[in-house]
Amino acid sequence: MPPTTLENATCTFCGCVCDNIGLEADGDRIVKTKRACGLGEAWFKNHTAERLYPDALIDGKPASVDEAVEAAADYLYQANMPLVYGLSNITCEAQRKAVALAELVGGVVDSHTSL
Amino acid sequence: MLRISGGRVYDPANGIQGEVKDICIADGRIVNDVQGAAVRTIPASGMVVFPGGVDVHTHVAGAALNFARGMTPENHRAAAKFIHSPLLRAGTGGITPTTFATGYLYAGMGYTTVNEAAVPILSARHTHEELRDTPIVDKSSCVLMANNEILLDLFEEGETERARDVLAWLIWAAKGYGVKAVNPGGVAAWKWGKDAKVLSDPVHGYGKVTPAIIIAQLAAIVDHLRLPHPLHIHCNNLGVPGNVSTTLETMRVLEGHRAHMAHLQFHAYGGDDWTTLRSEAAAVAEYFNAHPNLTADAGAILFGNSVTITADGPWQHLLYQLTGRKWGNLDVENETGCGIVPYVYKGSNVVNAVQWAVGLELLLLIDDPWRIFLTTDHPNGACFWRYPEVIHLLMDASFRRECLRKLPSRALKRIVLPDVDREYTLSEIATITSAGPARALGMPRKGHLGPGADADVTIYNESPDRGLMFRHPRYVLKGGEVVVEEGDIRKVVDGRELIVRPAYDENIEEYLRPLFEQYYTVAFENYPVEQERLEGADIRELG
Amino acid sequence: MGGKVTCTLGEVKNRADLIIYWGGNPADCHPLHFSRYTLNAKGKHVPQGRKGRTMVLVDVRETPSVRFSDIFLQVRPGKDFEVVTTLRALLKNRPVDEARVAETGLTLEQLQNLVDRMKNARFGVLFFGMGLTMTRGKHMNSAAVLTLVAELNAFTKFVSMPMRGHGNVTGADVVMRWTTGFPFGVNLSRGYPRFNPGEFSTIDVLVRGDNDAALILGADPGATMPQPAIDHLARIPTIVLDPKLTHTSRLARVHITTATTGISAPGTAYRMDEIPLPLKPILKSPYPTDEEVIRRIYEKVKVKPAWSPAAYAKVPCA
Ligand code: SF4
Ligand SMILES: [Zn+2]
Repeated sequence: MPPTTLENATCTFCGCVCDNIGLEADGDRIVKTKRACGLGEAWFKNHTAERLYPDALIDGKPASVDEAVEAAADYLYQANMPLVYGLSNITCEAQRKAVALAELVGGVVDSHTSL
Repeated sequence: MLRISGGRVYDPANGIQGEVKDICIADGRIVNDVQGAAVRTIPASGMVVFPGGVDVHTHVAGAALNFARGMTPENHRAAAKFIHSPLLRAGTGGITPTTFATGYLYAGMGYTTVNEAAVPILSARHTHEELRDTPIVDKSSCVLMANNEILLDLFEEGETERARDVLAWLIWAAKGYGVKAVNPGGVAAWKWGKDAKVLSDPVHGYGKVTPAIIIAQLAAIVDHLRLPHPLHIHCNNLGVPGNVSTTLETMRVLEGHRAHMAHLQFHAYGGDDWTTLRSEAAAVAEYFNAHPNLTADAGAILFGNSVTITADGPWQHLLYQLTGRKWGNLDVENETGCGIVPYVYKGSNVVNAVQWAVGLELLLLIDDPWRIFLTTDHPNGACFWRYPEVIHLLMDASFRRECLRKLPSRALKRIVLPDVDREYTLSEIATITSAGPARALGMPRKGHLGPGADADVTIYNESPDRGLMFRHPRYVLKGGEVVVEEGDIRKVVDGRELIVRPAYDENIEEYLRPLFEQYYTVAFENYPVEQERLEGADIRELG
Repeated sequence: MGGKVTCTLGEVKNRADLIIYWGGNPADCHPLHFSRYTLNAKGKHVPQGRKGRTMVLVDVRETPSVRFSDIFLQVRPGKDFEVVTTLRALLKNRPVDEARVAETGLTLEQLQNLVDRMKNARFGVLFFGMGLTMTRGKHMNSAAVLTLVAELNAFTKFVSMPMRGHGNVTGADVVMRWTTGFPFGVNLSRGYPRFNPGEFSTIDVLVRGDNDAALILGADPGATMPQPAIDHLARIPTIVLDPKLTHTSRLARVHITTATTGISAPGTAYRMDEIPLPLKPILKSPYPTDEEVIRRIYEKVKVKPAWSPAAYAKVPCA
């Protein structure tokens, strides 16, 4: 089980990346933040661990993650030049994998920086 | 299981100098013998067998190098391309190769262990992330300490014992291996736009602490903690005409302690200014030869493109003013800083010609190959993948003379290289590229081919063209796996990180925490690199 | 000439006595920047905190950040480049045309005063935001600012830093540099990294319709991009990984819900000054992490026959 309180949590809402945030969770929600600004507090409190969305959608219809992964892999594999875009709100570990995937499918990889 | 059969083996650590001998491998280590049908044999008769190369000083990962990558896109365009394949990751080579390319290039040259020589603790997590993406080679790293303000404040107050605990804690926080001193006191002064040029003058902002005190204290602590690698020092006044006096004085301060003098080439200059710059390699070599407490690496330069990256901010600013080219500078709170300036060494330039000679002179005039190692301070003096060019120059005096003829005649008067006839033997090359650096790094399983050693082995086709021979090993084995065969990468393994855990008084955290909250901008708990990040690391606990 | 002279945020906290924000509104967009890193922080060599520092704000409009500043310089929109160039000229004691200066909305006196402050600062820092980098001049503006700051180092210690926005955009930059050599907009379609901003940047690729599939990670271009780009995303197979159903999810063929970075997904994020920090999740998500989903897609593609004729070719290693 993850902890229900956490000191020195890191907020990734803005580029300040404050790493001294105190958090208190109750079940699926963060109920209290310490030392965060208004934006940070909203960020932490708006994201819950509830199942608010379907696991995955294919053509707008609910699907399993397995099916969606399979479909994603097929689309990317078949494309001549796929684009991998975003990367700003994911972890560095995910970014590393995203570059590897872009390389594997021979595409363009880009972040918000290019805007 | 594997048998390398019939090769001429050069294993200086075990006194083997070109004997025809089988090398046997099981479970990733060298063993006395292997038997049975499962043994693969690599026929190596007519070939030369070396322990895998060990680079004692290079810059391949972390914030500074990655800053340089961002600054030099035009170089990546011109660089060698690494094309994605089912085996290899894409990348670019050139003067600041990408991480994957770095691993392939080192392994392709027969090197299997590298020491990243400059890690700020605050961004050590970044260094380790990059090292994880640097395949095949094993990796260690040296942590920057000689401008760490918490340590400097303790030296100012004469709190030696506490400084020792702090240093030990910091190494473990960074998951480092050794201690690096760069321009002691000078980088701290640079934070105010100043430098530390005289070893006996107090550092800007301090009353008592001098560069000499920092050097002596750090060397003493490193010895006291029994770190496997001695204090790794980049002297004050790097690259400055007349800096030989600073270098000799630094070596005097180090008497009674072990120390490794980094990229000595950049510290062996006479003269008063750029127009009178001359080689003082002979003076440095003379002192050095008489002081067995010291080891050094060459930091040789080769003509061509480079990018200079050092934690020596003032030097980089000077170089920027001299070249008028791009300049990057990155100061790291309380700890260090670094500067980045792209640079082209030209054979027609007298200063560069002298620098070129100084690197070779040191390698040739320092008589014990166990104490001077091959480096180019990659990417400062040249890229690491050009080491075979240096080997060629060391082994072939007539080739050297040919190169000397192309230098401006004004340069020839300022160097001693034309008078040096020494030629390195294969055994000496094995020493300066592998056995020596492994011993200096305190890595008992590296740099030799005796039972128990890691099975990191490089096999060359013998050729009179030494440049060609060392550029293209026939086979490279890493941990017993054949990673290069017929000159191509055939298998990509993960390299491990080597780290040390010195002993310290746990209460030191109570001392550090409040200081930290005052001066740093990250939470104390988030500062140390988590051990779980370094999967498969080889951790050496020091009692 | 050119350069990028920068530092970590703690250097600013510990030393800066002159803090310039240019083209940004930190009070609203980076709310804790003042208190943690700059203006109000008490630093080692600025123990008095706010009293020991001067803040200059340069912007085209008044924002809530103005009331934090000691000096506010309101530049006419689109005239940032001219202002920076004038500052560089004044720094070198070159003559400047007063009438041209007036077109920027500022007076020569104001700019001379700023240059004097910069030269006399003990440690100066210039933070520049999207107001500078996203308006007329764009990359030229940031290059001019970086050069100005590099040149100031002939007089005193001066550094600059971009005010990066979104959480881990800095991490993307850092990771792409070490894996490909380039910070963004990298084309791997020939099997090795190629970089050409303006050609391989997302908007250009989408508007030209160059790509025939898209994988969108932690972004919502369907809400923010120009319409032709959105139209193209709707035309091609688009795949979205996101903790929420976004605008882009609605036009995508595939959406996969993922755990939220730093809240229920662990890992690393980089601060605007490229300091890496650990992300420790407090909640356990019912959804997989982005990292895991990308890895699973990767593994599915990896077992298919290689795409490129070069893929099985031997690659010499040196
Ligand atoms: S707490 Fe506020 S200032 Fe800090 S990172 Fe989060 S949004 Fe930014
Ligand atoms: Zn170095």
